[in-house]
Parts: sequence; C-alpha cells; structure tokens
Amino acid sequence: MSEVFAKIVSLAMISVFMQNAIFDRAFGANVAIYASRKDNHVIGFTFAITAMTTLSSIVSYFFDKLLLPKPNGYLFMPLIYVGIIGVLYMLGLFILWKFFHTLFRKIKQYASLAVFNCTVIGALFLNSNYGSDLASYIGYGFGTGIGFFLACFMLNIAHERLDSDKIPRIFRGYPIMLIYIGIVSLAFNVLVGYTAEF
Amino acid sequence: MKKSKFSVNLDGLLRQNIVLMSGLVTAPVIVAATTVQRAVVLTVSFFLLSYTSILLCRFIPRRIVYTIRILLYAVVAAAMYIPTMICLEYLFPEVLSGVSLYVELLVVNSFLLAKTETRFYLKPYGEMVLDVLVYVVGYAIVAFIVGALREILAYGTIYGFHLSEPIMPAAKSPFFGFILVGVLAAFCRGISGRRAPRKERDV
Repeated sequence: MSEVFAKIVSLAMISVFMQNAIFDRAFGANVAIYASRKDNHVIGFTFAITAMTTLSSIVSYFFDKLLLPKPNGYLFMPLIYVGIIGVLYMLGLFILWKFFHTLFRKIKQYASLAVFNCTVIGALFLNSNYGSDLASYIGYGFGTGIGFFLACFMLNIAHERLDSDKIPRIFRGYPIMLIYIGIVSLAFNVLVGYTAEF
Repeated sequence: MKKSKFSVNLDGLLRQNIVLMSGLVTAPVIVAATTVQRAVVLTVSFFLLSYTSILLCRFIPRRIVYTIRILLYAVVAAAMYIPTMICLEYLFPEVLSGVSLYVELLVVNSFLLAKTETRFYLKPYGEMVLDVLVYVVGYAIVAFIVGALREILAYGTIYGFHLSEPIMPAAKSPFFGFILVGVLAAFCRGISGRRAPRKERDV
C-alpha cells in the first residue's frame, strides 16, 4: 500500500515540477491566463481541472488497457476521452444542480471552459503514452491539476504588476503574460536539470 | 450599386488572430512549431480537423442547451480526428510523430468550442465558410513564421535546407516558443492598432 502511495506522490511531483502542463507543454496556457485574472477563478478552475484530470485518468486507464493494444485503437482514443470527460462533466453539473443550486448558477458559464481544455485531455493522452499502472495514472492526473494550480497562482501574483503602466502598452496583457510564462518555463527547465544551449 | 452577397471579413488574419491576439490556439505553435515542416503538419491538421468540424457543428441545432452543445462540438471534432490522422499518416509519416500529441489536443481547442458559439453561429453559412477559412489562414501564417524563425535559429536550416550553423539551439525549447509568440503578439497589436486598457493605478 505504501509503495502505491509513494508511486502516486512521485508521479504527481513529476507532473507538477518536471512536466508541468503549462510551463513544459503549454497545455491550456490560454485557460491559465484567463483563470489567473481573478483569485476565485484560480481556486474554481483548479478544483474543476484537478477533479477532472484525476477522475478521468482513473476511468481512462481501463479503456486504454482495453483499446490501445488493438490495431488502430489509438485513432478512437480522442472519441473515448471526450466521452469520458463529457460523462463526468454532465455528472458533475447534475450533482451541483441537485445539491448546490446557487453554486451551479454561478459556475455554469465557466464549467465548459474548465473541463473541455487541453490540460484535461492532454493529461489523458500523456497517461496513455507514459502511464504503466493505475497508480501512475492517478498520480499523473492529480499532479497535472496541481501543476495547473501552481502555474495559475504564479500568473495570478504577477498579473497586476504585468498589467501596470510600467509595461509598454503593446505588451500589456496577453503578450507580457506569454513572455512571463516563457521565463518561468526556462526557470523550471533549469530547476529539473535541463541545460539550455544558447 | 448591387451589394455583394458575401463579404469577406479579414479579422482572423491579424486583428483577431487566434494565436497572437485572442490566444485561443497557442500550444501547438508554442511547443510543436519548431521547423517549417512541422508548421506544415500543424496547419494541415488544423485545417482538416478544426475547419471541417466547425462546418459540421453549424448543423447542431441551437435549441439544444449550451452544456450539451459544447459536448457535441468536442464529439464531432474527435470523430473528425480519425480521417485527419489517416490523411496525416499518409502525407507526413516522418514528421507526424513529433507533433501528434498536439494534433490530438485540437479536438478540444477553444477556437472550435468558443468561436463557433460567439461568431460563426451568427453568420450565414456561406459567409461563415469564408470567415473560418480566414482564421485558419491567420493560424497558418503564425505557425509558418514561428516555425521558420525557430528552424533557422535552432538548426540553421529552412525546410531542411542548410543555411548556416545553428545560432541558438535553445530556440526549439517551449520557453523560447512562449517568448517568441509573446513578442510577435505585441508586434501584432502594434500594427493592428489595438491597445490594451491602461490601468489607472500604478503598481
């Protein structure tokens, strides 16, 4: 049991720091930039994305084992993954509508953006490529959500400064955010020991 | 004077470019567009998958609730992934493996899920067909510029033809992609005349 837990934690750490969804692969960078503008969006999007990546990773594990070994099975994986995400999305909305009606009315317009994005489906594709067992799927899926939170948080704390008058007008907003993500991405590369050849 | 039936709106090329201005589809260009050959694959895949999906999604009735409609858009794109991938494997067997992950991600791209709702649904079908095409061309232009610049810097080649020794091998890294696309986005804003709102409070 402790071995399984250790595997989940180590895979989660890898997906947070070494293969961060935003800084290393740019999965859902536009969603992270959008979510980082407001504090409550950071929390809401992180919760939704972490729940989706973790739960859909668990379900996708069984489909991967069933379909990927078959010839041309990989062609149908996007359809399967969209189906898994779609069912969980509907189920989540139904639970919110049934038991947390006020919350449902607040978040329903953002829910699709938090669920149908590259971070969630990207985690499933990476799991299908590199995941070996259920523990690794759970670890990587959960870590992807936490990695999204880390990226969102770093963008959130920088947002006000990057939107100030000190930034040239044409760079303000989206362009400077991308440049900032690029610099943080470089720092993450160095943190995990990669060397950039200049 | 008789007014033309179709008016081509060129917003998608520059003013509403989906990579540089609205940032709806950034990941493939930032990470995968490291050579011109890869830019070609990304452009063809984007055209085959997103363009055809949007044209098909237009037939999904608007009376279906938004929550289900979004899911149906993604299902249509995931179904379109199958013929798209078969075509790409036939056309670009060698280059495809490096960018296939970013082709897979296109099934939930924000261009398809958001723009279909806010823009394409509101236009007559014929006009919409041209409008989406303009957006795809805008995407292609950026993919080619980014791919060419990074190929020259990182490998010293252009479409595989040797030009010089590699100037900056790190240009193929994702962090360089972010910075390059950020600089291009600022440049694009400058020439399109769009201005970010100035905040009153200085930080």
